[in-house]
Amino acid sequence: MAEILALDDVQDATVLIGKILTKKGHTVHCFTEEDKALAHAKENKIDLAILDIKLEKMSGVEVLGLLKEIQPAMKAIMLTGYPTVETAREAISLGADEYCVKPIDRDELEEKVEKVLKSRGKKSAMSV
Amino acid sequence: MTESTAKRLLIVDDEMDLLVLLRKVLAKKCGCDIALAQSGAEALEKIASWHPDVVMTDIVMPDMDGLELLPKVVKLDSTISVVIMTGYGTIEMAVTALKNGAYDFLEKPFDNAKISQIILRAFERTQLLRENLQLQKELQKTDRPTEFIGQSTPLRHAIELLTRLGQSDATVLIRGESGTGKEVAARTIHKMSKRCKQKMITVNCPALPEQILESELFGYAKGAFTGADNDKDGLFLEAAGSTILLDEIADIPVSLQTKLLRVLQEKEIQPLGQTKTVKVDVRVLASTNQDLEAKIAKGEFREDLFYRLNVMTVTMPALAEMQEDIPLLALHFLNIYVQEYQREGMELSQEALQCLTRREWKGNVRELQNRINRAVLLTKDILITPVDLLSPEELAEDTSSNKAGAEVPVCVHKLPYSEAKEEVMTYFTSSYLKKALTMSDGNVSAAARNSGLGRQSFQRLMQRHHIQSQSFRKE
Repeated sequence: MAEILALDDVQDATVLIGKILTKKGHTVHCFTEEDKALAHAKENKIDLAILDIKLEKMSGVEVLGLLKEIQPAMKAIMLTGYPTVETAREAISLGADEYCVKPIDRDELEEKVEKVLKSRGKKSAMSV
Repeated sequence: MTESTAKRLLIVDDEMDLLVLLRKVLAKKCGCDIALAQSGAEALEKIASWHPDVVMTDIVMPDMDGLELLPKVVKLDSTISVVIMTGYGTIEMAVTALKNGAYDFLEKPFDNAKISQIILRAFERTQLLRENLQLQKELQKTDRPTEFIGQSTPLRHAIELLTRLGQSDATVLIRGESGTGKEVAARTIHKMSKRCKQKMITVNCPALPEQILESELFGYAKGAFTGADNDKDGLFLEAAGSTILLDEIADIPVSLQTKLLRVLQEKEIQPLGQTKTVKVDVRVLASTNQDLEAKIAKGEFREDLFYRLNVMTVTMPALAEMQEDIPLLALHFLNIYVQEYQREGMELSQEALQCLTRREWKGNVRELQNRINRAVLLTKDILITPVDLLSPEELAEDTSSNKAGAEVPVCVHKLPYSEAKEEVMTYFTSSYLKKALTMSDGNVSAAARNSGLGRQSFQRLMQRHHIQSQSFRKE
């Protein structure tokens, strides 16, 4: 299905996301460190990134910007426990497709992921 | 002057005090024209009449909230940047607004420096969007300037050459068999040139007797010959500032060729019966389907004129060279005539398409077009079959030569044009690749070379069509 990158400084959170989405048939690569996530994105195609905003070294929004530089077609969902209008604004203008507030329940996550991945199909068909 | 160049900002809020305050701040900081609206409805009216570059709107308003206003603004003019401001911003609201196309989202109370920065950025975005739109429009204008249909390499090369020639002012000799679209090629060159605003003049040289052709081309002075009651401007003068196409130039009499040479060399003409010469600015295109070199050898065509004309040569490919485009062309003409004769739902049968592709077209595209025209008009049934396209003799010939015939994907004519094209192209590409690979015994590099493609692009095509070279290797 889709190649998904999950980045959260709390390992359990990424594992949880991984479990939920692997069941849906996606391949999930989990990271707790920004550098490793970016290094992965440089080498591999990512369809969707799920990013926490509060990370150890950078903010998730910064990571989003860097990821988009590497793979502009990549979709992104921001996940955060500390939502602010400011980060929402910034994330969306950097190309995030969704901005979700933690805790996120399983159904909502699945639904948002499907929705975002679907929009990818549509867009690429149009640009070809 | 300042009014027309200054950026325009429309501020929408139901509180007059805030509007006035914002106007004061922003007029000073951004140096833009500002209009105010106190409701969504008023804002929409203003947008339609005043065309602002940026709209700044509050979310909570009595008649229409800012989030409702947003799509309406975008619908009116998608290049307007909308900045949403709100007193009680919720994340969800901000996300929705931004996703629906708002450029930015501001929380009250604002910081003056920040607002003006955002507004200036929004102006910049609008300007970029408008520039982009403008450029795209121009691109579209030049993108499909040709009336040529087809994807085959020879045709694409010809079109590319025509496009490039359009930008120059050089004399072009267009060669090609009858029915390959020489006149269309000339029109394309004209349309792509800076002379495109003027009408192109076409002269069919063999259609007129020598003397008349001369007076038509160069004009005459009053009294030049019996019946010349008035001065008459020739076609060259009429084409001043534009392009003139001399169709079938090979049939022009030798005496006229000398005069023509003068036009090409000196850019001036001498009307009949007049001693003065007149300067004209005309671009000359000439077309022929004859073998000019042979005519030169026989002394029927002046060599010096040939070299003058032959500055640039375009050879239009014969239909035989672009066989892959035949289904495409057939469907294109089918669509045209179906509409012209209002015979909706007519289709070409698969066999019909096949036999069209197989056939030898001496009259090239024109002949194909006429065939389809006739078939659409005369076929009683809704399905055009080979019988409707070919005479019995041709049909017999076709069946005998058909054994190695290729198959075209089923029922492409039932699909919309673009899908049908895709289908036919896919089919074509894969059969082309397979043939090329068969001939090279599965050697990809050789197959690519023979097809005039890079090895990598050849391989990419193979991948896309799931073709493996192993299956073509000889044991």
